[in-house]
Amino acid sequence: MKEQRRVYPMEPRTIMQTSFAKTYLNYLLPELANIGKPASSLSVDRYVDKEIEKTVRYEVDMALALSAQGFAWSHALEHKLRLNVNNNNQVGKSQSYLSHDGYRNTMPVNHEPATEKLEGNPKRSGTEAAAEEEERLTYLRKLIPGGSGEMMLDDEILLSELGSYVSCLELQVNVLRSVLQLN
Amino acid sequence: MLQCSDMTVLERQRARLKWQEEHFQQHQQESYFSELSGVFSSQTGHVQGFHQGGLMSCGGAAGGDSVLSDVMMTRQLKPDPGLETAWPELGKKVDMGAMGFGPCGYGNGQSFDMNQAISRTSSCPPAMAAVEAVEVKGNLEKMGLAVGRESFKKRKVEKLQNSKVVAEDDSKRIKASEEEEEESKITGPNTKKSSNNNKETSGDTSKENSKVSDVQKPDYIHVRARRGQATDSHSLAERVRREKISERMKYLQDLVPGCNKITGKAGMLDEIINYVQSLQRQVEFLSMKLATVNTRLDFDIDNLYGKDVFPSCTSNFSTVGNMPPELANHPPYVQFNPIQQVVSGCGVEMGINSSDMALRRTISASVLIPDASLLNTSCFTGMQQIQPSAAWDVELQNLYNVAFTGSIEGSDLKMEM
Repeated sequence: MKEQRRVYPMEPRTIMQTSFAKTYLNYLLPELANIGKPASSLSVDRYVDKEIEKTVRYEVDMALALSAQGFAWSHALEHKLRLNVNNNNQVGKSQSYLSHDGYRNTMPVNHEPATEKLEGNPKRSGTEAAAEEEERLTYLRKLIPGGSGEMMLDDEILLSELGSYVSCLELQVNVLRSVLQLN
Repeated sequence: MLQCSDMTVLERQRARLKWQEEHFQQHQQESYFSELSGVFSSQTGHVQGFHQGGLMSCGGAAGGDSVLSDVMMTRQLKPDPGLETAWPELGKKVDMGAMGFGPCGYGNGQSFDMNQAISRTSSCPPAMAAVEAVEVKGNLEKMGLAVGRESFKKRKVEKLQNSKVVAEDDSKRIKASEEEEEESKITGPNTKKSSNNNKETSGDTSKENSKVSDVQKPDYIHVRARRGQATDSHSLAERVRREKISERMKYLQDLVPGCNKITGKAGMLDEIINYVQSLQRQVEFLSMKLATVNTRLDFDIDNLYGKDVFPSCTSNFSTVGNMPPELANHPPYVQFNPIQQVVSGCGVEMGINSSDMALRRTISASVLIPDASLLNTSCFTGMQQIQPSAAWDVELQNLYNVAFTGSIEGSDLKMEM
């Protein structure tokens, strides 16, 4: 990954959101139509289903990456997808760029009392809170595509990337659900 | 006569170029400086400085530019052999409206040895262009001096030579306006910093300062220290960073549903993690479902238009099988925004098995029926006759409405399970 310091202000996100659905579907639906016309030699069996699942998942992710240009995570996602396509032979099960760890089982849940402010509570020991935060941030870095890059080491950037990623995921979910409802 | 034609040409072009120069003024100056200095590197110093001085004046002057550019346009044909290489390139830029060679010809036609047309045009319309010419000369001189003193940003120009060559009438007026111009010129590159300083003195927060400076790209960020706080650069930078982080956290708080009650960074991050995971699981599930739909129905884009919303919902009902009607009529499920409810439902449950998925599917389907108005069913039935591209836009607009309103409303509602 290139080491370039890019600032992502929050305003472009709103610009992107307004055209997200359109861009997303413009990419996804023709791709799905292409998938839907398989070669006649393929017979419908479980293997093909898995293949189709993988392909659909790939297209879904790629549509997300292409509809949300200008963010580090979208760039990383696109890059990862293209790499995975090239290494497709090795993967047996359906691909996703996610890796789910047993996070919820190992990490204790600490909901602080409402009196605390967001910036930090002087009553709480600084190191303990910082360690917890770091733990969570590390996990977030695993969740977001491209989270292990150098750019995401900066908390600021990580949080703004998270904001755009979350909103794009929401939009994606809504679009996909709408498409499925129509069919 | 050349005079008459020039006047009409001048009038026509003046109007066109006036607004152009307003837009391009600042930008052009610098770009033309760089281009011109490259162009004129082969020229004599005198000519070079003169041209650039003229260009500066053109960039700065108000009404005189049109005269100059007009002159430029009329004379493009016979370039001086000494300037042959230069003129064609410069001729291309005439449309940009910042040509400064008119004044060169105007003020010093003789020394320039330009072609007859130029000297004639430059000297000919004294009546109408007298005021502007003087202004131009004044601008030329003051720009030349101003730039000479200032060493304008990137370019080093030999304008001093040029400025002396220009006529010296109205020197007092020139000097007076020159002061202004020079000041504005000098403070041009520093306006950003000065505006920052102004904002500082007016007592804005450091966060706003850093925002302003980020937007305007200065050399360093102006931050004002708050009362009773440390003022060394490290803590200031640290404070700016913390404020940015908290700003982003607040944005995430708005984005992730149900985070209003939770305060504290770690708890917030926890919620964010949960939310991101649930969204990702939803995407996975939806894409799998999409794949099954794909294989089963031989996915055809045109089919999307013909389908009414209600039949599709009922088909969802039938596929699920054991659809508990009481759940569909359950008030909390029906009332809430469907997307929000499904999302929060996924967020609460950690272990998702297929029956839960089916349940959520039906719930979302059942709740979407009341919301069918969003999708504008009449629009769908009418879409069969519309061209696919137009229908796409309408449908996409509807989908976007659903998606966008869903995401907007999502933050407001939280389903208590």
